[in-house]
Amino acid sequence: MAEERPVHPDCRNASNPYHECSEYCFQIIAQAKGLSEEKELEREQVNACSNPSATNTVDDQHYEREDAEEHSDGDNEPPIEDNLGVDITKLTGRKKKLFELRLKMNEARKANQTAMVAEKKKMEAPAESRGISKQKWLEERKKKVGKILDANGLDMSKAYMLDTQDAAESKYKKWEKDPAPYGWDVFNPKTLYNAYKKRTKNIDVDLDEYNKLKEADPEFYREASSLQYGKAPKVSEDRIEKMVKELNNREEKRKSFSRRRKFHEEKDIDSINDRNEHFNKKIERAFGKYTLEIKNNLERGTALPD
Amino acid sequence: MAESDPTLGYLTRKDTEVKLPRPTRVKNKTPAPIQITAEQILREARERQEAEIRPPKQKITDSTELADYRLRKRKEYEDLIRRVRWNIGVWVKYAQWEESQKDFNRARSVWERALEVDYRNHTLWLKYAEMEMKNKFINHARNVWDRAVSLLPRIDQLWYKYIHMEEMLGNIAGARQIFERWMSWTPDQQGWLSYIKFELRYNEIDRARGIYERFVLCHPRVSAWIKFAKFEMKNGEVARARAVYEQAVQKLADDEEAEILFVAFAEFEERCKETERARCIYKFALDHIPKGRAEDLYRKFVAFEKQYGDREGIEDAIVGKRRFQYEDEVRKNPLNYDSWFDYIRLEESVGNKARTREVYERAIANVPPAEEKRYWQRYIYLWINYALYEELDAQDMERTRDVYRYVSFH
Repeated sequence: MAEERPVHPDCRNASNPYHECSEYCFQIIAQAKGLSEEKELEREQVNACSNPSATNTVDDQHYEREDAEEHSDGDNEPPIEDNLGVDITKLTGRKKKLFELRLKMNEARKANQTAMVAEKKKMEAPAESRGISKQKWLEERKKKVGKILDANGLDMSKAYMLDTQDAAESKYKKWEKDPAPYGWDVFNPKTLYNAYKKRTKNIDVDLDEYNKLKEADPEFYREASSLQYGKAPKVSEDRIEKMVKELNNREEKRKSFSRRRKFHEEKDIDSINDRNEHFNKKIERAFGKYTLEIKNNLERGTALPD
Repeated sequence: MAESDPTLGYLTRKDTEVKLPRPTRVKNKTPAPIQITAEQILREARERQEAEIRPPKQKITDSTELADYRLRKRKEYEDLIRRVRWNIGVWVKYAQWEESQKDFNRARSVWERALEVDYRNHTLWLKYAEMEMKNKFINHARNVWDRAVSLLPRIDQLWYKYIHMEEMLGNIAGARQIFERWMSWTPDQQGWLSYIKFELRYNEIDRARGIYERFVLCHPRVSAWIKFAKFEMKNGEVARARAVYEQAVQKLADDEEAEILFVAFAEFEERCKETERARCIYKFALDHIPKGRAEDLYRKFVAFEKQYGDREGIEDAIVGKRRFQYEDEVRKNPLNYDSWFDYIRLEESVGNKARTREVYERAIANVPPAEEKRYWQRYIYLWINYALYEELDAQDMERTRDVYRYVSFH
């Protein structure tokens, strides 16, 4: 007898025999239900919009009743038509208000549309500002490689089989790295430049704000000797916060610059003190390779005849 | 008498004499019953170390205690810096302690005093500015950066960090002005490249182009020109890229790294599918560059011809390369008849009669030095080959007869 699995019939994975519904599944189901309800509402609204006559007649009846009651208005409007092709000057009072409301609704709808489009654009990749973006080029390359591989009956994992010997050699060359600088050379100009380049990746480029600033400032492209030097635009608080945060990040990273070395317990003790030990480490680093022979001779007790 | 030696003060000579015990003679020279090793001594010394004495941890409860603590610490630090004025580490610790106490005026004064000691130390400037930035004193920070950059304009790190600060704060125009100031000092390549990257971050391609032009003027090196051309390519401006390459070739044809430039130019033309132009560039480059450095160029040329050229072109290229090698060899060792033979065989395979004859003539001009048989043996073979060649390949009987006659004379 098949067990009663905890599977909700509305779950999207219900057809999977091994699936068991969990909290997450229920959330998804609830969301899906919410969406379907919204869709129904939207459909109703669309129907409602496409039948403005129905609502209008309802409104008209309402207004006519009111008109009948209040003769102070004294307006004998023709019933408002579907496509709002009405003479604005003839409207006053409630009909005018209705017209204005409709205008506002339309504007809201337009604003919604533009916002939707902008969001969609943001989600997709940005338009290529200069040349071909790296992503696109990589994708094209991949497709080409895929085609050739299929022609030869190979798998994507064997893509390296297509390389010529020269190409393979150049790829191997990439693996050879220059030895990392050490000692006094750690902060040479190249490494400092690389560090700066890495930091620039954290900058969020806000092109809208940039363009706004460009319009506001007549001397946007300044020479070195421009008199605008001291004048700084008002800096928003969150920018300062971001800068401070980045600086704190850098400080954290700086702490992990040198790693703690392992303490070898089995090594002989040649010091009486922690300071002595540290000193011994330093002189070992500096003179170790030169005094190795002498030390060995002393350990042995006699020098080797060489 | 007592004051005659001022270094002794109130003491006399007799008091300050060191009285060593009289060296006695050792009577018992046998080793002691209990020996000890050096390691033993060290280990014992280590184990007997007493833990270092630390003052007890005190919790500060009210403001008078805090004031006391601060006073004590300040006195300590001031003593330290009075003792070792040139030790920047102590100054930095003092200033950073004041910063931790949130007393920024005192911290600033400590920093300024430290700068008085050594204004050429870029770490001092960096830490000072960082203190101002971290505590959100933007205008103070700008002041510090400005002074730092005016006093130490050749230290790139200061410029980088100043510009980075302005960019993080959104003051792009200010950042640009600082970049311009920096460029007027003509920094090295990385400085220029960081300026260009900055402009490209905001999609200011025209400005980037202007900066590239100044860059190649400031650093007239092959790598700079190639970077410029690659930038134009990246923006899809093929015509401009070509113009850049042509300018570069004009200016740097005799540079010592010109072959890299030629190779890059030729590869660019290949990418634009202009094989004729690429071939012209290769040929021009090969003519221009002395043979010693043309190795890489040759390789690339041969690869190019294999891809795009017809059979003749490929053979031409390959043969040309081999020809160079043989020229080298025979120049080095004109009496090495083996290399002459190889060279001749190569020329024969090409089939160019004039060249073959020329090589033969040159070969036989190298008469062996002595009248010994072994030298002459190979030499004679040269003659024989020449005659055979004329007879069989060139089918020129007249010349064959000439050759035989010449040989018989010698």
